[in-house]
Amino acid sequence: MAEKFDLNEREVWDGNYAASQALRQADVDVVAAYPITPSTPIVENYGSYVANGYIDGEFIMVESEHAAMSGCIGASAAGGRVATATSSQGFALMAEVLYQASGMRLPIVLNVVNRALASPLNVSGDHSDMYLGRDSGWIQMDAFNAQEAYDLTLCAFKIGENHSVRLPVMVHQDGFTTSHTAQNTYPLTDEAAAKFVGKIVPVDDMLDFSRPVTYGAQTESDWHFEHKIKQHKAIMDSRPVIDEVYAEFEKLTGREYKRVESYNMEDADVAIVALGTTVETARIAAEELKSEGIKAGIVAIRCFRPFPFDQVREALKNVKCVSVLDRSSPAGAMGAFFNEVSAALYTTASRPLVTNFIYGLGGRDFSIEEAKRIFKEQQAHADAGHITTDIQQFSGLRGPYLGFFQTKRG
Amino acid sequence: MQDLKLRANDNRGLSQLEAGFDLLGWHEITQGSILHSFDGDATNIVNLKAEERTYSGYNSYTATVASWRVDKPVFNIDVCIDCQNCWVWCPDSSIISRDKQMLGIDYDHCKGCGVCVEVCPTNPKSLLMFAEQRELGEALSQWPEKKKKEEKN
Amino acid sequence: MAITSIKNLKEFSTNNDRFEGAHTLCPGCAHSMIVRELMNCTDDNLVISANTGCLEVSTAVYPFTSWDTSWIHIGFENAATAVTGAEAMHKVRKRKGTLPDNDAPVKFVAFGGDGSTYDIGFQWLSGAMERGHDFTYICLDNENYANTGGQRSSATPIGATTSTAQAGSHSYGKKEKKKDIVAIMAAHGAPYVAQLAPNKWKSMAKGFQKALEIEGPCFINTVSPCTTEWRFDPKDTILLTDLATESLMFPIYEILDGHELNILYRPKNVLPVEDYLGAQGRYKHLFKPENKHVIEQIQGDIDKNWEMLQRREEARI
Repeated sequence: MAEKFDLNEREVWDGNYAASQALRQADVDVVAAYPITPSTPIVENYGSYVANGYIDGEFIMVESEHAAMSGCIGASAAGGRVATATSSQGFALMAEVLYQASGMRLPIVLNVVNRALASPLNVSGDHSDMYLGRDSGWIQMDAFNAQEAYDLTLCAFKIGENHSVRLPVMVHQDGFTTSHTAQNTYPLTDEAAAKFVGKIVPVDDMLDFSRPVTYGAQTESDWHFEHKIKQHKAIMDSRPVIDEVYAEFEKLTGREYKRVESYNMEDADVAIVALGTTVETARIAAEELKSEGIKAGIVAIRCFRPFPFDQVREALKNVKCVSVLDRSSPAGAMGAFFNEVSAALYTTASRPLVTNFIYGLGGRDFSIEEAKRIFKEQQAHADAGHITTDIQQFSGLRGPYLGFFQTKRG
Repeated sequence: MQDLKLRANDNRGLSQLEAGFDLLGWHEITQGSILHSFDGDATNIVNLKAEERTYSGYNSYTATVASWRVDKPVFNIDVCIDCQNCWVWCPDSSIISRDKQMLGIDYDHCKGCGVCVEVCPTNPKSLLMFAEQRELGEALSQWPEKKKKEEKN
Repeated sequence: MAITSIKNLKEFSTNNDRFEGAHTLCPGCAHSMIVRELMNCTDDNLVISANTGCLEVSTAVYPFTSWDTSWIHIGFENAATAVTGAEAMHKVRKRKGTLPDNDAPVKFVAFGGDGSTYDIGFQWLSGAMERGHDFTYICLDNENYANTGGQRSSATPIGATTSTAQAGSHSYGKKEKKKDIVAIMAAHGAPYVAQLAPNKWKSMAKGFQKALEIEGPCFINTVSPCTTEWRFDPKDTILLTDLATESLMFPIYEILDGHELNILYRPKNVLPVEDYLGAQGRYKHLFKPENKHVIEQIQGDIDKNWEMLQRREEARI
């Protein structure tokens, strides 16, 4: 029996500590992990809870992130609750096994503290690692602050372990801006959290010797397609389950989550679509622009996978101009997030104008002023009835002006 | 020996590994490409002989690789001393031994490698390779005599 | 542990196989001889993992499995990590009482070929050994990447021809010596490390049972002659293994707790290595006059290694 961990109604936690408390309250059985900045404290804290009797679990300190996820897969196939955390290069090293975890339908929870990918090496936050995971078959949820990192980590277990889902879940938070910034956080009591998350009910349990099971079979061209599409459908079908879990969480805490979050969108003419802490920056900018007569709104993607194609369309169909902010180097294309949002908007009758800003790479600051400037530029596009700049531009980049692709609609 | 009732399920030997299973749609296949080896409770499986087990249709025991064979081993029970060399070294779990006695060859799973013949210590050998299409009775009728010591190679 | 009787083959043959036929390993493949024997050495439940390789691609080809026990394959490199993740989960679930049967005896075993053991999975194996999990890792050493068509691995001996270390008019095949994986594993301080061979079924069974019984990480390197890539007739797998052990190309020995070495088989008449090399197509070119020195080098290395093993055994340290 675990020792009692004293919690206050209000705690001052950073995103890492918040996530680690969620792991403790979810009574995670096995964490196989490897340290990497900025996610290290999450697994360090789990190790400390084990060392001090606050949780009865096994903390396996492996020799690489690839092994961390491999150990998680073995442990998860053995029927218990499993989680770990990583960032950046560690996430990239894990990439091979991320696909294996989802293909075997194992409900592992991975806290990803977003960080840039080298080269050049950089320890600060951007969304390169998050994007790298987007085809890996995991559910990906994005927390914009410490409270959300805590809340969504609890929800992640309940979503992934749901028998109609059975998928691994990533909970993202921005490196340093969320992971290392102490904020007011309101935890559940241990009892309430345990009740909400519930106990894991194993499926195809390798330790159930009454039903020997083979994991990781070879499928060639006669079977592979069907397995991949069955998995794709499972991710698509997780949408109502995610909604249900969010609704149940709101009942318990009053904190409301949606797969697509909208702020000031009721009468917005222009909008920013963003992920992560940038959402909070843009919200302040939008508030401040009210006095200047600009109706600016923000659409934030809470659930990056399954991608809320229909909800994005719904949220943006009435605006005139949208800017999609990509915090990852597109490396020879439009931003990946821009492409996904644009695809959704292309199927609307109104087809708002869409522009793309690449910003914040390697932890480059994104200011309220810059968000205001982007909103105003979208207003200018809206007023002109076409995009008056290049479609892809860069926010916060030093050097001569850089932009790509002109609109054909002007 | 091949009359031995060793079929655990009636589906034994019906599925051809080469031909694959019935090619099921995405809605019918197992979640996570998981395969269960048995139908029902398999807790005690280690104490059950093949014919007592409830193999699932996913178990390769229910499949056959007989078509791989060019030559087949033929077993002559009259010469066999039940040493079990063939049993321990058969790479295809195809030597049927029960209660320390060699009973025959599982021709659904034997690939005809010939290891059993090589490791057979009797004189003459109790296992010999014959062409796949050769009748067992005919093969047995052509069994060689015991070799004299000096003729042994 | 519920070990099975290995007093003699008749007793041993009363075990009911948990590794089924109609897998797609080559006719005469030694891998399945070794796997069958491991599984017949215990009545305990088994959780088995496999690295990508011949064994894995041949025994779980959807929709068929040849495994009558829990089995997992993730990737080429991580069978040791997969099975030790399961081992850790077993520990915590046993403590918490959340296992379907809390008293069911279970052993954790990982299989890898030499490519995955000596090369790509080396780090994963080393990590799992160092962490002290209670598991047994068995390397099925056929000295090449047979599953991908016979490329050189760091287990390929000097002089063998492989598709990526070819013998030709300017080459005698692989130039580098085989990595001594047994010594490396012993250097981890593992409680039990051994090199075993399927022709010596009883010493192999004894070694397997020791590894399964001893708590902690155990490592066994097994010689697994490859009819396809070593180029010999499938019927001769055991003959080839005999030549390997009689020529001391594969000495059979164990190392306890990283230091106590015991030789488990001493050939009465040690065969010259030519007998072993000459029985395989992959060494055929060594018998040309210009490559004679390679055979001499191999024989010299074998002699030195045997001397070293005997001295270490005598030293008892």
